[in-house]
Amino acid sequence: MIWLAWRQFRAQAYVAAGVLIAVAIAFLLTGPQLVHSYDTIVLTCRAHGDCSPVLASFLARDHLLRDLALAVILVPALVGIFWGAPLVAREMENGTFRMAWTQSVTRSRWIAIKLGVVATAVMAAAGLFSLMITWWSSPFDTINSDPFSVFDLRDIVPVGYAAFAFALGVTMGVLIRRTIPAMVATLVAFTAIRVAFTEWVRPRLMSPLHYTGAFLLNQNGPNEVPGKGQVRDWVVSSLILNKKGVAIGSNGGIGPNGEINFQPGAHGGTTLVGVGTCPTTIPPPTSTGVSSGPAPLNVQRAVQKCLNSFHLKEVLTYQPASHYWTLQWYEMAIFIVFAVVLAGFSWYWVRRRLS
Amino acid sequence: MLWLAWRQFRVQAYVALSLLAVLAVVLGVTGTTLVHVYDTVVRSCSAHGDCGPVTGSFEQRDHLLLISLTSFVVVVPALIGVFWGAPMIARELEDRTYRLAWTQSVSRTRWVSVKLALVGLSGVAVAGLLSLMVTWWSSPIDTVNANPYGIFEVRNIVPIGFATFAFALGVTAGVLIRRSVPAMAATLAGFAVVRLAFNRWITFRLIAPLHVLTAFQSPFSSGSLSKVNGVPNPADMVISDQTIDRAGHVIGQSGGVGPNGNFGFSRLSDGVTELVGVGRCPNKFPALKIATGINQNGGPPTTAMARAARECIDHFHLRSLVTYQPIDRYWSFQWYEMIIYLVLALLFATFSWWWVRRRLS
Repeated sequence: MIWLAWRQFRAQAYVAAGVLIAVAIAFLLTGPQLVHSYDTIVLTCRAHGDCSPVLASFLARDHLLRDLALAVILVPALVGIFWGAPLVAREMENGTFRMAWTQSVTRSRWIAIKLGVVATAVMAAAGLFSLMITWWSSPFDTINSDPFSVFDLRDIVPVGYAAFAFALGVTMGVLIRRTIPAMVATLVAFTAIRVAFTEWVRPRLMSPLHYTGAFLLNQNGPNEVPGKGQVRDWVVSSLILNKKGVAIGSNGGIGPNGEINFQPGAHGGTTLVGVGTCPTTIPPPTSTGVSSGPAPLNVQRAVQKCLNSFHLKEVLTYQPASHYWTLQWYEMAIFIVFAVVLAGFSWYWVRRRLS
Repeated sequence: MLWLAWRQFRVQAYVALSLLAVLAVVLGVTGTTLVHVYDTVVRSCSAHGDCGPVTGSFEQRDHLLLISLTSFVVVVPALIGVFWGAPMIARELEDRTYRLAWTQSVSRTRWVSVKLALVGLSGVAVAGLLSLMVTWWSSPIDTVNANPYGIFEVRNIVPIGFATFAFALGVTAGVLIRRSVPAMAATLAGFAVVRLAFNRWITFRLIAPLHVLTAFQSPFSSGSLSKVNGVPNPADMVISDQTIDRAGHVIGQSGGVGPNGNFGFSRLSDGVTELVGVGRCPNKFPALKIATGINQNGGPPTTAMARAARECIDHFHLRSLVTYQPIDRYWSFQWYEMIIYLVLALLFATFSWWWVRRRLS
């Protein structure tokens, strides 16, 4: 039976192995050079007091390969669609399962071995791919120093995603019994679950930390925990509270979308929209047109003074960088559990329910 | 025949239509607010002299929706090719259902022509509507971002070309491979390769790019992280930025020295500072201030350091040759790229039409 499962899976395994080898060659050719120039150029640039231009040019390296490395986000979906969904659905559609079931092989054995062989290959392929990409991009990741921005693309979570996508594909195939609709259903369900998990579950997997401080206008956006000096933290939400402690805004501004906005009020005063009238006047504009450049210093100071007069507070909810590995393990474990449950369900369905 | 083609295609058409309808409702509701906020907030912020935080927070609006819309426009042509194109004929061959059709009064030619036309035109319509909606919805955000080349492939008319091409490629793969799932995989791989290659090597070379030669601006000397490219309009697309030495040889890329655009000074053992890859600086550099603390970037260089760097760079008479495409060619490129993809699609469609007529047993 293992022989049959392997024969049916062979072509797909060869394609996957070919892709992995091609990626490995590309990375082996460029990777050592990357590490070398990181060690020689980036590590020594600090001795000259200014690393920003060196880092900027280092980050411009190997753009094509780095774009390809983004493909790791697609691999689990492809595995689910092209390996998972047709695994049982094609046998159902073409009636080839009859041949297998009328031999000495039981249904349970048939589905168990099919699941086992392909699932092992899936997890091995996803693990290898993620390992290679994590190794190759480690110099870039060290410079970017924001591990949560590549959380889905590095380390161990891709293994969990791939196992889950595969089991989801098999389940869809067993239930729908037609290949192409099962493939579509797998794609839709997998995308929905991944997005929902990233948006709503991941921030709550571990209880986040909080930071409360005076609200400072930040030209760079809200993604920093002030006072901690850590850009590696992941800011889950930022709320603006007024003097009474009522939330009046989020994302570093007033209102649900985080806008800071001044309007000329009566008597030449200026109103901070959504809060109240400023005690100071904001200097008149010097520039015209929509420009995103920083404001002149006197304007910035007047704006900050107006903000201070309202005693606004900023509450940040964040996951510190030290939670990274725990979150990786939790997320991988959860997706593996999903995968085991779905695989168990399709095993049961093939044994009991499939005619 | 049209009736049969419609019956076979019906489910997919309904799925696509309902998705488009849902999207239209979502975009209609959020889009009008977006336009309203743009008109009231962003337009008026310039009257207060400080647009930085306003445009910054405006860009943060509906961020998740914007990302999903962009990925839709990227993915939908591929999905049309994979799920509509590849199985259209491959499934009939696999299940032998084509035999029933061909033994009726319908000729092969008619059978394949009607199928190609119905599904192909539906694909064009879906991609066109989607791109139209997304382009309309994101126009306030795109105006604020002011970088049309950065979103060249996910706006306006090029997605129509992509979808048509993906569909024709899928049909061709199906006709040649004759099995749905392998044909689908081949379509996906082929489409991704063509798109990447086209974007990287073909599109922006269709019109000869312009050049501008300036004195080399080092980020060390300007003190700013973003290098000044010297293109007339910041929205222009920089294709290459070569560093040229006194003799006119190209010694670097991307605003630096060497193929990867690295740029740095290194202190040699005899106390002389070297501009890496170029040569020894004639002047002395001030003593080092070792950056401490958590900020990896170390902040802007000190003025003394910047002056020394400037002096050393000027000594070598480095220049930058920037090759770019100006922003006013945006629409020419949109039309060129769409037309090329449509022609490719037509070629593939004709090939599969011919193959079904002559070669398919």
